[in-house]
Amino acid sequence: MLLRLAWRNIQRNRRRSIIVLVSILVGVVALMFTDALSYGWIQQMLNNQIGLHDAHIQIHRKGFNDNRVVQKYIPDPERVVDALDGQSGIRAWSSRMLSFGLLSSAMSSSGGIIIGVEADQEGEITSIREAIVEGTYLSGNTREALIGRKLAEKLHVDIGDRVVGMASDLHGDIGSELFRVTGIFETVNSNFDKSHIFISMSSAQRMLEMEEKVMEYAVILDRIDDVDQVAAELRQVLGDEYEVLTYKELLPILVAQVEMYHTMMYIIYAIVGLAMIFGIINTMLMSVFERIREFGVLKAIGMKGGRIFSMVMTEACYLAIVGTAAGLLLGILITWPLSVVGINFAMFAESLASYGSGAIIYPQLSLDGMLGLAIIIPCTTMAGALYPAWKAMRLQPVSAIRHV
Amino acid sequence: MEVIRLEEVHKTYSDNGVPVHALRGVDVRIEQGEFVVIAGPSGSGKTTLLNVMGVLDTPSSGRVYLEGEDVSQKKSKEIADIRLEKLGFVFQAFNLVPVLTAMENIEFSMMLLGIDVESRRERALSIMRELDIEMLADKRPNEMSGGQQQRVAVARAIVNNPSIVLADEPTANLDSETGANLLDIMERMNEQHNLTFIFSSHDHAVIDRARRLILLKDGVIDEDVSGVSPRSE
Amino acid sequence: MLTALAWRNLWRNKRRTWISISAVVFATWLSLLMRGIQLGTYEENMDFVLGLFTGYLQLQHPSYDDNPTLHNSIRFDAETEARLRDDDRVEAYATRVVSDGLVSYRENSLGAILLGIDPLRERGLSRLTNTISEGRMIASTDAQEVVLGSTMLENLKARVGDEIVILTQGFDGSLGNMKYTIVGTVKTGLHEFDRGAVFVGLRSLQELVFMHGRVSMVAVRTRSLHEVDAVVRELNEGFDASEIRALSWEQVMPEFKQAIDLDNYSGMLLLGILIVVVAFGILNTVLMSVTERFREFGVLLAIGMPNSKLVMLVFMETMFITLLGVLGGNVLGFAVNSWFAANPIVFTGEYVAMIEEYGWLPQMRSTVKLSSFVNTSFAVILLATFSVLYPLRRVARLEALKGIRYT
Repeated sequence: MLLRLAWRNIQRNRRRSIIVLVSILVGVVALMFTDALSYGWIQQMLNNQIGLHDAHIQIHRKGFNDNRVVQKYIPDPERVVDALDGQSGIRAWSSRMLSFGLLSSAMSSSGGIIIGVEADQEGEITSIREAIVEGTYLSGNTREALIGRKLAEKLHVDIGDRVVGMASDLHGDIGSELFRVTGIFETVNSNFDKSHIFISMSSAQRMLEMEEKVMEYAVILDRIDDVDQVAAELRQVLGDEYEVLTYKELLPILVAQVEMYHTMMYIIYAIVGLAMIFGIINTMLMSVFERIREFGVLKAIGMKGGRIFSMVMTEACYLAIVGTAAGLLLGILITWPLSVVGINFAMFAESLASYGSGAIIYPQLSLDGMLGLAIIIPCTTMAGALYPAWKAMRLQPVSAIRHV
Repeated sequence: MEVIRLEEVHKTYSDNGVPVHALRGVDVRIEQGEFVVIAGPSGSGKTTLLNVMGVLDTPSSGRVYLEGEDVSQKKSKEIADIRLEKLGFVFQAFNLVPVLTAMENIEFSMMLLGIDVESRRERALSIMRELDIEMLADKRPNEMSGGQQQRVAVARAIVNNPSIVLADEPTANLDSETGANLLDIMERMNEQHNLTFIFSSHDHAVIDRARRLILLKDGVIDEDVSGVSPRSE
Repeated sequence: MLTALAWRNLWRNKRRTWISISAVVFATWLSLLMRGIQLGTYEENMDFVLGLFTGYLQLQHPSYDDNPTLHNSIRFDAETEARLRDDDRVEAYATRVVSDGLVSYRENSLGAILLGIDPLRERGLSRLTNTISEGRMIASTDAQEVVLGSTMLENLKARVGDEIVILTQGFDGSLGNMKYTIVGTVKTGLHEFDRGAVFVGLRSLQELVFMHGRVSMVAVRTRSLHEVDAVVRELNEGFDASEIRALSWEQVMPEFKQAIDLDNYSGMLLLGILIVVVAFGILNTVLMSVTERFREFGVLLAIGMPNSKLVMLVFMETMFITLLGVLGGNVLGFAVNSWFAANPIVFTGEYVAMIEEYGWLPQMRSTVKLSSFVNTSFAVILLATFSVLYPLRRVARLEALKGIRYT
């Protein structure tokens, strides 16, 4: 009965209630959209990086990640391959040879990260193949080189031009090899494009005097959530000589950003919620004072203060829930199509490219974010109603009835 | 001199979808200096008639002339000026601005006319003296009795020297003695300054003082009697 | 008198008025705080990044930006130098040669960016010399000495005093190498430098790459960041556009500029949301205070007050609330911003690495800037005005009779 009464009370002053609802709605929609945009951006950065090169798990000789020298190659490649083949949850893996080197062309030179790969394996686990804008992907022939567009520009080379790669080999000498540019790629990460060159595994092994050896195994899983479990199982199997790193350890910065992000968002929700409180207090106060005689009468006929308090709080609760629900709904309606189509932030193109997210951002609705809103906003709304409800409760019947 | 003339005035309004014919063809002429009471049973349309005369309401059909001018088609800016300069109102309640003192309430309409501070102070004081309410000058409405509030309302109504003062149930919230005092004042103003007073009331104390009584019944004038008996003691 | 009436009307319901004012204070203060911290942090970061090495503007070959090769280099002739020297706004300038190379120490080789500098000029232009954490800066432009980034030193497993070999491709396309002694290491706080920079003497590098008489860029610092655009414009007017041009730091490091812009706009967006929410609160409050007084307003209209004056009255009431709130917010904002300007918020823990990775300082410092106060106040007042348009409209259209009869 109280619920029905509270519900009807809200409708007494339609305009006022609607304005409160709209203010909650606007706040919720705006927050939701901003949240989805920022979250989508961060996720994009992370996923792009994973899909571009880092993959879900990387396996090296222990100590390689701290000191990436060519001497720290994989001790027993067969063992690792067996372990990978026997592990469930893995979609594909690729072996790689890694080195820092100097690349020079006829016109200029540049430092670069030289990655030797088995073309098909690599194509399974990264998106490099899809990022090719000129020429072709590696076919496994030696002397083929696939370079980033920014690197190609810097070296002033085009398809068919020659590039010399030089790097420190297994024995400490400078090994070099001649390549021909057969493909150029362009990804959403300009920093990646500026520094990476892919060559065939055999060329890399020859250049670095490391026949039959590999430096890294990169693994993509069926489900990203399995990553910790699979990594643990691999560690068990492979033992102490190896390090099995998940993307969380490989990209701690990005992962930290994702985590820190939600904390920040909750703080912002609270601040906006706080701003709403002022409006709520005034509105509820006025709605209470308008009914002061009525409350006096109710009390005179025996209704306890506590119930009056509950009634007013329930009214605020209705407003809060309807407003938040409507806001969430509208927010989803607005954000969901954009999450499919994406928003083009061309004016920030360079910065976004250097962050690795690409200029088209796909907002991403998160359950956490929506849940956060669903809890924080109604709570702040009702916090605003506490004082007015308390006032209503404390009315003395006689003075209230006499109130003009 | 004729101050108000209504010709074939009809007024219909809608009450929750139901059309109400408040005035069904009213013709009336009022001269300067008259002391008129419009009376009738409730629902007869007396408040509506008063409102039409005071240009607060526009007739559905027919014409209204104020001092010879047709006011039925005037725009709101002109109407505001007419209300300011030619008319004075005293309502049953809520006449005064609660946050202004009596003096300021009286000064208010002069302020709207752009009269300078000195002159309006003077005029307000002189009016207050006439109505015997000088001592209320710095008091706010919530510091006065009902009767005092109404007297201040009268002062404000006449301070701009309007041709007509319209009063809608001015004594309704007052006890009989206070009401009588209020009517005394209004009669005095009528005699001394030749101000036209038009009341709408069902209060017999008011009706008894009427020098002209217009009885409304079902939206038309039933009786229009002048030279009504001077008020009985 | 209308003003006095508006003022007094405000205090008819003290509690309500105070709550409304508080809402405006809150929104204003928070906005100022946030803007202060944002702008202060940008300033500090710009100073940090640009003052470290990049400079406020650079002179480069027109194609260098797209294609930073040795071929796209410039001649820093006496005439151009005179133009810089004679400009009062220019405080310092230094020439540099930039090239990619390989640095080897024993069995370790790393890719590096070779930066040929003039140590004396750099001292006047950038903070580079101050970031030496061990050893010293190279002595002259042709000494066989290098200074490495601290992370690079670590990764090479070398120490100050050791000898390294630099391998690089010259202007003519040939490869050259040279031995250098590590005389010092820098810890700049900027990832790219610490990990990949090798500072060599300008003349020494020029010889190694056969770039006699040419340089990759001239870095310039002006008195203040605000003068950069003017100086760039004027320099370009006098330059032969096919040979040399001046670029402001915004053009040299667009990602940095955009990163700042990105943060800036998202911050303003958030504040916008905040102020809008408060504006709704004001809307409702004013609407209610107006409808409560409809009878009173009706009477005023009846005695001849024009609607326009009534609208003005309500508008003034709103403005009083808004202005008082803005004033309070400004005072609070000034106090808090001043404090944070002197005492920046320093980050600790896991997030420090993350922030430094992106090249930002791990702290937030506020700033007190007149323009922020003006802009924020203006935004709040504007939004408050918009929010009361609806109640004002109702007052504008109120008829005397409707008001009097209002329930």
